[in-house]
Amino acid sequence: MMQSNDLADNPLGCAACEEQSCQQQDFPIEWEGDHYVTRREMVKFLTLGSGMLAAANWATALGKRFVRRDSTEVKLLGPAKDLEENGSMLFRYPNEESPCIAIRTPEGKFVAYSQVCTHLSCAVVYDKAENQILCPCHRGVFDVNNGTPVAGPPTRPLPRVKLELRDDQFYATGWEA
Amino acid sequence: MSMRSQGTTLFSAILALVATTVVLQLWLLTFSMEALLRHSYSTLVPAAIASTVLFAVNAGLLRYVFRFDREARRSARR
Repeated sequence: MMQSNDLADNPLGCAACEEQSCQQQDFPIEWEGDHYVTRREMVKFLTLGSGMLAAANWATALGKRFVRRDSTEVKLLGPAKDLEENGSMLFRYPNEESPCIAIRTPEGKFVAYSQVCTHLSCAVVYDKAENQILCPCHRGVFDVNNGTPVAGPPTRPLPRVKLELRDDQFYATGWEA
Repeated sequence: MSMRSQGTTLFSAILALVATTVVLQLWLLTFSMEALLRHSYSTLVPAAIASTVLFAVNAGLLRYVFRFDREARRSARR
């Protein structure tokens, strides 16, 4: 009986561990022993982390339902004459928490984008002199014609708002894919 | 080679493998987050499936570690 207890305490026959019981090994009184992590514990810990990462990956995959920009709400922005050539206008679409910017390029083309920089969410502005969209926080630059990043840290394009001109009035009608 | 020293080598290798797969999973997660923000949803589910497969590999290795310990205990009793 005594022998079987000894084996249970020290299953691999470790000579150094023979003097200590399992409980003493699990709850050592020395600081060095307290911070000691065995390979088995590390594998257990990493496997637990691996499970959490897999769960987080599934949460991301299912989270697309919540971030999808499929608003088709039509919102009146104002008269077209208010947006002068080589000028810009700020508006909110589809709700008050989503700032956007409408721009009339020197060529007379109307475009609108989300005003939230895709790098770190600063508000972008229209740089009239250079005819580009500029994020003043980290000098990120976007192409005014399609919203793609052309300089600085941003890597994703600005989400583009669909615009429609009806009876000389501007309407935002949704997001472009 | 004793069972204990075999186990030490084996667990070092398993630990290295598990750590590598966890790093891969971390990369998959950051890639998925980036894809989510870019609104390109086609890669999200395959990335999640790949991450689950890696987790299954890790769980299998952990199970092997437990089985190895059980075997070692049995052989020590003999």
